[in-house]
Amino acid sequence: MGLFQKLVSFLGVGKKDVNVLVVGLNNSGKSTVVNNFKADDDKVTDIVPTVGFSVERFQKQNLGFTAFDMSGHGRYRDLWEYYYKDCQGIIFVIDSSDRLRLVVVKEELDLLLQHPDICQKKIPILFFANKMDCREALSSVKIAAALGLDKIMDKPWHISASNALTGEGLQEGVEWLTQQIRELLSVKV
Amino acid sequence: MSGFKRDHKEEEDGGGNPFQNIEKTTVLQEARIFNETSVNPRKCTPILTKLLYMLNQGEQLSAKEATDVFFAMTKLFQSKDVILRRLVYLGIKELSSIADDVIIVTSSLTKDMTGKEDLYRAAAIRALCSITDATMLQAIERYMKQAIVDRNPAVSSAALVSSLHMAKLAPEVVKRWVNEAQEAVNSENIMVQYHALGLLYHIRKSDRLAVSKLVTRSIQTLMYTNVSLQKSSYAVCMLIRIAAKLIEEEGADRKSSKSQSPYFQYIESCFRHKSEMVVYEAAYAVVNLNNSTSQEVAQAISVLQLLSASPKPALRFAAVRTLNQVAISHPAAVTACNLDLENLITDSNRSIATLAITTLLKTGAESSVDRLMKQIATFVSEISDEFKVVVVQAIRALALKFPRKHTVLMNFLSAMLRDDGGLEYKASIADTIITIIEDNPEAKETGLAHLCEFIEDCEHVSLAVRILHLLGKEGPKTKQPSRYIRFIYNRVILECPSIRAAAVSAMAQFGASCPDLLENIQVLLARCQMDSDDEVRDRATYYSSILNRQDKALYNNYVLNTLQVSMPALEKSLSEYINLNTAQPFDIKSVPVVAVSKSENDVKQKPEGMLISSGPTKISPSRDENFADKLNSLPDAQSLGPHFKSSEIVELTESETEYVVKCIKHCYAQHLVLQFDCLNTLNDQLLENVRVQLDVSEGFEIINEIPCPKLPYNETGTTYVIVKFPDGDILNSVGTFGAVLKFIVKDCDPATGLPDIDEGYDDEYMLEELEITLADQIQKVNKANWGAAWEEAESTFHEIEDTYSLSSMNTLEEAVVNIIKYLGLQPAERSDKVPKGKSTHTLLLAGIFRGGVDILVRAKLALADGVTMQLTVRSTDQSIAELITSAIG
Ligand SMILES: Nc1nc2c(ncn2[C@@H]2O[C@H](COP(=O)(O)OP(=O)(O)OP(=O)(O)O)[C@@H](O)[C@H]2O)c(=O)[nH]1
Ligand SMILES: [Mg+2]
Repeated sequence: MGLFQKLVSFLGVGKKDVNVLVVGLNNSGKSTVVNNFKADDDKVTDIVPTVGFSVERFQKQNLGFTAFDMSGHGRYRDLWEYYYKDCQGIIFVIDSSDRLRLVVVKEELDLLLQHPDICQKKIPILFFANKMDCREALSSVKIAAALGLDKIMDKPWHISASNALTGEGLQEGVEWLTQQIRELLSVKV
Repeated sequence: MSGFKRDHKEEEDGGGNPFQNIEKTTVLQEARIFNETSVNPRKCTPILTKLLYMLNQGEQLSAKEATDVFFAMTKLFQSKDVILRRLVYLGIKELSSIADDVIIVTSSLTKDMTGKEDLYRAAAIRALCSITDATMLQAIERYMKQAIVDRNPAVSSAALVSSLHMAKLAPEVVKRWVNEAQEAVNSENIMVQYHALGLLYHIRKSDRLAVSKLVTRSIQTLMYTNVSLQKSSYAVCMLIRIAAKLIEEEGADRKSSKSQSPYFQYIESCFRHKSEMVVYEAAYAVVNLNNSTSQEVAQAISVLQLLSASPKPALRFAAVRTLNQVAISHPAAVTACNLDLENLITDSNRSIATLAITTLLKTGAESSVDRLMKQIATFVSEISDEFKVVVVQAIRALALKFPRKHTVLMNFLSAMLRDDGGLEYKASIADTIITIIEDNPEAKETGLAHLCEFIEDCEHVSLAVRILHLLGKEGPKTKQPSRYIRFIYNRVILECPSIRAAAVSAMAQFGASCPDLLENIQVLLARCQMDSDDEVRDRATYYSSILNRQDKALYNNYVLNTLQVSMPALEKSLSEYINLNTAQPFDIKSVPVVAVSKSENDVKQKPEGMLISSGPTKISPSRDENFADKLNSLPDAQSLGPHFKSSEIVELTESETEYVVKCIKHCYAQHLVLQFDCLNTLNDQLLENVRVQLDVSEGFEIINEIPCPKLPYNETGTTYVIVKFPDGDILNSVGTFGAVLKFIVKDCDPATGLPDIDEGYDDEYMLEELEITLADQIQKVNKANWGAAWEEAESTFHEIEDTYSLSSMNTLEEAVVNIIKYLGLQPAERSDKVPKGKSTHTLLLAGIFRGGVDILVRAKLALADGVTMQLTVRSTDQSIAELITSAIG
């Protein structure tokens, strides 16, 4: 990186591009979350289950996000790992009303944390306890406990309860993530 | 100085191509850059281009390599660069068949195909089509339907063409898009119309009624109402092709002449179309219809005649090329164009000139041959190999038509042989000379002399080997065999190992057939035993020791007529034998003999456009060795011994009936496996437990029946019956079996194909009788030297002779064709060709009866009020000789 660019990114004025990976079980609301982040012009009205993945872009606080919105369907979960290497942040979406599959969520999360491309990195993970509007939804505290998030020591993490349909809770979460990534970038330089 | 020259040359051919020296590992290495967080299109674009170039050059990637680079490439979806994205689509298409998990890009592609960027949409559809398998098709069905009726013609066309490709994977799903396709046919855009018509036809093509409705309706719209539709010449061309196919299919049941058919009238009406492309297509379609009368093609030929005078070279070319093709089937009609063709001889486009002359040669009289040949000679050096081949073919046809002209033609051919040219061209000349030699005994010596001269300086190894083989076969039968030896032996001194080996084999033929040359040959073979190459030494040693024995029978079996077994089968039998670990010697008779491949002039399939090919309902099982696997999986198959031969397909039903049943008879040493391929054409019936009940002739015994458990609409299922031939009673092994198709019917809903109720009812359907013929039990064998085998058989085989009068035969040719067909034996020494104007002929045949019994047959035919035949059968088994003599009559 040239001196000028160093300076720019240190001061936080230059526009940076970062890659984030959006994972979670199918039907948890990943695509809906990402859609909510997008500028109004780019938003789509009808969201269908993702097959494979889809690349979406959005801006948050002067940071250009490229989100790899992965499919959460069982058949495609093995393919997440192809995209682990080059991301600076992970958004993990959980359907907090789907109590039955919370164990599956834990399993997938553990696999992710143990993956060689992830376990060494101090990469921030943002959890959305999504679908908080549903009646049977668990609170974010309960979800954090069920997934054993307190055992994650080497990575910054954060959990927000959210409603991807209205956007409630999303802003808070993504602000945290932006902050984390910004810190990470300036340390790297 | 020379160094300078070489550099210069390298510069020249390396000139325009920056990718010339790229290497797989480097490119794959470079492609890792795709994984970087922010994509740099300026760097990625050339790398992706290199990758594509490399794949197009035929570079092979392993599944792992392909998958890695594929996933790296998927990350480029984050770039907004249009060029890079379009390269990614190409990359997806290239890698879709090699890499794993390619469906990962499905959502990305559906997003692009429905997105705002028009430059992405069509290409994304095509890429999507290449990664989608039958299970995923449902997921994208909605998008495909929308895209077919999209307002953007590029999108609509891409969707239609992709649907056509997907119809191969999941015909049922694509069938559901028929309404969208119908809507697209009415598009303003000519390409969309064309593609939509193609898809509609494809969806309906197995249903003749629906196709004829489609054509009739399209014809009406084209002719009377929608003027804009008339604009799509492409769609009209396709309609013409479909109509022509309908005419052919009607053919069988047609009572009146073709010209009564509305389709034929439609095609003829296209002769007046504005677009020349359509006019040509219509004429082409008409002249290529089967069994047309000269009246039916007359109008089309005059259209071609007009086109051949067009100022546009492409049209002139198309027209003469078509005239050239039909010159053989409709010589009289084409002769009418002679004047126009004469004008084209001097056409500045040499391809057109060549076609014009060769057409004239095909239709012309003997007297014009010399003049036309002179004309060709003036420019033959200027035309490309491909057209030289056309000239050669015309010469071949001429030589067969006018045998007396063989000297002129042969000289011409040998001059062509001396010119430069590629393998295909040279091979076609050599083939022609060989055909002329075989057809015309008078031309033999000159022909062989030309070939001898040719191999003195022949750069094509495969061709030299073939010619040496021919010299070995024909040389010994000439008046002065010794003169060929020098040419052959020269090859041993001068050429590469494979040619030397072929030369050794050729010399051995002379040694075995010409006793006075034997001593000299032995001297030459002795020299060859010192050769530097193993194969050459082995052959020389082998032949030399056989020739030393002075034993006619050995000569016959090991030099003149070589092993006829099928090589893959021999390999298999040998490896099984080795595993058996027995003290018994290997029995070569247990290896199936190879089926004699059909000669090339057998009916060639007419080339068809991609769309207008025969529908999926056609039952076309592949030949012998492919059967073997299928048959081996049958319960009893292992105990039947090696598979001996399979018959042609026999139809046991008329083609337009409720159930279509075809039979293939697979013969084993003591058994017959009858394979019945059944097609259910009723869409409201599901058949279960489908089987064929046979009423076998005396002595035959049914061993087992293997029913077909389920036969849904429009599918072909197979049921088998295993029958044992009469024990020890060969004379009764031909017969006629009654046959009835038995099954349980379940009525079902045509839309879903699911049965309404669980209970079905028994039903049956009468089939035509099934003949078990002699030919089913005889495998053709090519005897390279039939005469020698016959002579040897005189003392060792059983012989039976009988005389017949074949009163229903009117010509010798007819008799020859029928005898061959009836006995299923292979004609030897081209004795199936009856020379013109002869009243007697001798047909020489050879084959093997099931169980490995040799058969040789000589049929002396004389034409006198019908045909009389004296049949001599020699066989190692008396009763088989009896069977053959008794089967005729
Ligand atoms: N009630 C409620 N529904 C939601 C919420 N977020 C998403 N949904 C709904 O949940 C369903 C699934 O949402 P998607 O965004 O397609 O889920 P996904 O995680 O992308 O699913 P895959 O792509 O199959 O992995 C949709 O019907 C959404 O409308 C939420 O916060 N509350
Ligand atoms: Mg999704």
